[in-house]
Amino acid sequence: MKKFLTTAFLFTLAAVAFAQGAPAAPKGLFEGQFVAHLSLAIAAAGCGLGQGKAVAAAVEGVARNPQAAGNIRTTMIIGLALIEALVIYVLVAAFAIK
Amino acid sequence: MEHHASLLAQWLTHVLHLAQHSWPGFAHGAQLSVLERYDHLLNAALAALTTMALTTLVRKNLARIPGPLQQVFEGVVGGLKDMINENIAHHGEKYLPFIGTIALFVFFNNLFGLIPALSPGTSNWNVTLGAALVVFAYYNFHGMKEQGFGKYWAHFAGPIWWLAPLMFPLEILGLLSRILSHSLRLFGNIAGEHLVAGIFFGLMPILLPVPMMFLGLFFGLIQTFVFTMLTTIYLSGAVSHEH
Repeated sequence: MKKFLTTAFLFTLAAVAFAQGAPAAPKGLFEGQFVAHLSLAIAAAGCGLGQGKAVAAAVEGVARNPQAAGNIRTTMIIGLALIEALVIYVLVAAFAIK
Repeated sequence: MEHHASLLAQWLTHVLHLAQHSWPGFAHGAQLSVLERYDHLLNAALAALTTMALTTLVRKNLARIPGPLQQVFEGVVGGLKDMINENIAHHGEKYLPFIGTIALFVFFNNLFGLIPALSPGTSNWNVTLGAALVVFAYYNFHGMKEQGFGKYWAHFAGPIWWLAPLMFPLEILGLLSRILSHSLRLFGNIAGEHLVAGIFFGLMPILLPVPMMFLGLFFGLIQTFVFTMLTTIYLSGAVSHEH
């Protein structure tokens, strides 16, 4: 995980450095639709991690106590919807970027 | 964002010979009739009419031995009743008509995304914002009715009096941002799902969109459930007395 994050960070740094080092383009790398797509990808990755954690905990709870399945499912769905809403905000922002 | 009017709106424009003209600041000046421009309202009205027609039909034909439609509606009403009783402490069932109407309206709106030639009304922010505003007005009104005007607004100030200047603006901000989150969640989910199904349809119009449409049915149900559940939770937060 740490290695992955470090790699991702370095990649981002490289991309930024590359964007700054490039000769003056009509439009920079971090402008326009590219930003929309990249931000949506980042948001989806984070949402995937978060939802995976939530579902894992819910499944564990149901496996330990099957009688509580109904309550856990309802709570889980509400929680998932609240996590997912953050990606949806990014999606709306991505729609807004022309 | 590009504007894609539903086939129904285009067909109605053709049949009724509606005038097409460009709308300032919308869809890059495309030639649209009034029905194509306000496509989402057409679909939302259709969903509202469906809700009214189905519920009236069930109400008129209530029987001791229920038919298929009545059985479905009994299940829906029973589920909503359970949900309300779980969340709202005392005599919450008087809110059932409102919550049930909102649930059915949102559900039919979501479902219209799966019917060819229609588009879901909830894939436009204006429709979901309307629903969220109605819910907002409803729970604030009932909060004030149950607790009294002063007491209802006082509970936003928090329990400690000297923290009130800090808490009150924050709580009001939270209250107002509920409208945004409540409406954007529904809109984004349905619009995104519809968009993806449309892209799949563009790749291969046969067979490929089917799994996506199944997911659409599932998401439509889940989002209706979430919207209704959050409505109930907001309502219960507004009307509950602190003993």
